Amino acid sequence: MSTVHPFEWFLINAAREFRDGEVTFVGFHWPMVAARIARHLHAPDLVVVYECGIVEDRLTPQLSTSPSDLRAAVGAPMCGGSMDALYSWLGRGRVARTFLEAPIVDRRGNVNTTVVGDYDRPTVRLPGSGGGTELGSLGRGLVLLSTGDRARAYPERVDYVTSPGHLSGPGERERLGYPAGRGPEVLLTPLGRLTFDSREGFVPAALRPGVSWQEARACFRWLREEPGELSELPEPTAEEVAATRHVLREAREMRYRLPADLPA
Amino acid sequence: MPRRVPRMSMRELVADLVPDGQQLLIGGFAFGDPMALAHEIVRQRRTGLDVLKTSGGVLVDLLVGAGCVAELAFCHVWNSVGPEPAHAFRRAVEGGHPNRPAIEELSFGAMTMGLAAGALGLPFMPTTPVTLSGHDLVRRRWPDKLGTVTSPFGDGELVSVARAITPRIGIFHVQRVDEFGNGQVFGPTAELRYAIGACERIVLVAEEVVATEVVRERPELTVVPGFAVEAVVVEPWAAHPTDSSGYYRRDLDHHIDYGAATATVEGFEDYVRDWIDGTDDHPGFLARLGGDRLAALALRDRWW
Repeated sequence: MSTVHPFEWFLINAAREFRDGEVTFVGFHWPMVAARIARHLHAPDLVVVYECGIVEDRLTPQLSTSPSDLRAAVGAPMCGGSMDALYSWLGRGRVARTFLEAPIVDRRGNVNTTVVGDYDRPTVRLPGSGGGTELGSLGRGLVLLSTGDRARAYPERVDYVTSPGHLSGPGERERLGYPAGRGPEVLLTPLGRLTFDSREGFVPAALRPGVSWQEARACFRWLREEPGELSELPEPTAEEVAATRHVLREAREMRYRLPADLPA
Repeated sequence: MPRRVPRMSMRELVADLVPDGQQLLIGGFAFGDPMALAHEIVRQRRTGLDVLKTSGGVLVDLLVGAGCVAELAFCHVWNSVGPEPAHAFRRAVEGGHPNRPAIEELSFGAMTMGLAAGALGLPFMPTTPVTLSGHDLVRRRWPDKLGTVTSPFGDGELVSVARAITPRIGIFHVQRVDEFGNGQVFGPTAELRYAIGACERIVLVAEEVVATEVVRERPELTVVPGFAVEAVVVEPWAAHPTDSSGYYRRDLDHHIDYGAATATVEGFEDYVRDWIDGTDDHPGFLARLGGDRLAALALRDRWW
């Protein structure tokens, strides 16, 4: 097994977050790729739902480029609408787990996919919400995926809350009418797997082998002293690496933009 | 005998129903985006449009880059393949080139509910909790787009609500239509039924016309009854490079090529010159794409 690229590591660990048979709301981009890897490994009976109303409950012939790429609907048992997906399934609580890409995410899991800088004169204008707000607001078992490995991807507080996480602190979601028991639980990054603590925010539960606490702290600047015991993420298996490389080849064919230094 | 719905060409649709400054909702959710409509709007050099679009893909990027849009309400604007950046949209919002549209944003769930309220004749609909999100805090054009009410039932919980959205005219891509304007859609429908119902005037852009008996064999596919439709444009491949369920796949290469071409202002102008002004109409656009490309994307080898 050749050296595993940090991006492959990230996808393998993202795939590990999926549970076989669970109804899972999958947002745009790497969550879709990770779901497909999981389906090749431990979760062949994953039931994926997308915001446009597609139910995808088996391996589609091709990897789709976005949740509304109708390649996702080939062989679908149901093609409904957004009211079905966002309210009947997500809001009503029929979705057990939710995956959302979080390119900029803060200590409390608030995700920004809208603007960097001032709203009216942004430094960088990002695409905006789509259904991302609903996933943050309503999604059960919410897992955030971020490929960021620098501090700028993890501010103390985002400039714009596109997808509400735990907002400013404990109890705020409940006070404002957000349903109980939801909000981000896991933040998976190339540095490791973080879980949400209502007092501290996102803190590492396990780091990728070779990543030091100092490196993690340089990225997640809200972290304080090193815990006495810190676990490492398990090494990827040969099967995990093979499945990931297979799906990444598909992604390349489907014109996904991949890291430049990823082996072909 | 039901009323026959008038047919018009895309050129006539834009000339007659989309004047400068028109407010219009354009249907589609990165599939079924009526790109042929956008091309014609650019060809006729419309300006000052007030555009509503849930999923603002390359269609919105193109209209914004061509300077057609003064006001814009949307859930996101992106290129769904790659993803390539939506270069023209970014240039407009970040740098004001060619102009900086006044924008308003809603999440997809809230916009769906606002359109549902509009479609159902209700003043508002409950929606996703959004309090203190960016959409809730930032209001530029629609100060009343979202609100909060106390539930009259139970323990008085707070409920976010989306105000009804009622666009002046809506133009929607459908797969097939009969002579009476009954429009049918295959595949996922996203917010389509509510968006159609919300609009004061409704125009369809159809891939093809079929006999009304074909429609009546599968009436559950009809997303809008003919009695609500004002006019129909028949334009095969109207949604290219987005996809049309049962008819053709998303054209990944064209999405990528569009992204690469439009990375600079000069490249954007070249794209408009070559693919839009230089092609006269949608059949001309398709001829430029070439039969081989269309054959590779086609999901069926015959029309009804």
